[in-house]
Amino acid sequence: MSTLTEVRIAAVGDIHLGEDVRGEYRKRLEGIEERADVLMLAGDLTRHGTLEEGRVVADELRDLPVPVVAVLGNHDYHSDLQHEIASELRDAGVTVLDDDGVVIECGGSKLGVVGGKGFGGGFAGKCASEFGEREIKDFVAHTRYIAESWKIALKETQADRRVVLSHYSPIKETLEGEPLEIYPFLGSYLLAEAVDTAGADLILHGHAHKGTEKGLTPGGIRVRNVALPVLGKAYAVYCLECGE
Amino acid sequence: MEAPQYVAARIQQALAEDARTHELGIHVDVRGDQLFLRGQVSGNDQRVRLGEVAHEAAPDLRMHNEIKVVVVNEPGEDEHLD
Repeated sequence: MSTLTEVRIAAVGDIHLGEDVRGEYRKRLEGIEERADVLMLAGDLTRHGTLEEGRVVADELRDLPVPVVAVLGNHDYHSDLQHEIASELRDAGVTVLDDDGVVIECGGSKLGVVGGKGFGGGFAGKCASEFGEREIKDFVAHTRYIAESWKIALKETQADRRVVLSHYSPIKETLEGEPLEIYPFLGSYLLAEAVDTAGADLILHGHAHKGTEKGLTPGGIRVRNVALPVLGKAYAVYCLECGE
Repeated sequence: MEAPQYVAARIQQALAEDARTHELGIHVDVRGDQLFLRGQVSGNDQRVRLGEVAHEAAPDLRMHNEIKVVVVNEPGEDEHLD
């Protein structure tokens, strides 16, 4: 006889921590183990991507009673110290995804998480192409490479449920509220296309502070924009049923 | 006289690129001799710094710093994705 269990995923992005708010976010995470089985962070953990800010984030997340999985965002890349920030986070026990995946044991179920920063380019019919100047081709090729990496990682991830964690958005629906002119800098349909091809149960992203929480990929996968200003709360909790 | 659209663009660029702020999502409006800043940030210090950087970029404008600090509430109801 099969029984159903639930995996509870706490998620938030764009917490933008710095020395002046040290300790504040940690207070909001108290009791998280009562509400969730895992915490996922959708990038832009710092403001300027400095090592000092990275250490603040690491200290806020250290020794939490639930596993923590994170990706970095564009702010975390600003000072070209993304590898050092990721290293600080890993030393604090955080799993940092960089276009790869991890499988977490949650209450007897296997939860696969695949992802990375993602990138922009725009959405089908209104997007950049690998054509013309080298700079434009490099921009689009970067997103294409990321999408392909996620597709491979998803196919290789054996789990009961699979979640994609990104900073940039895979769809435009969750950008509603942002100016249309900046959509190409907020995400790319190539990310959604890759996930729709490989399959997943949920996509989490941040980046779009003025966007909308809920959307769907063309293939019907639920997408949630978990940017802190969109949620207006310390984190959202999404529950996925798992067969046992 | 510099067109207000260019002044607003210059201020927005300063807020994004100045090492003290690096804030991308601030809405900047210039109306006559008045400057309006709107958006959300994670702390009051950042709100104040944005006002300082904007003032330095356009010292002759009267600034209205209407930027809000994000209120982080307790986690609410869970969403069940079945």
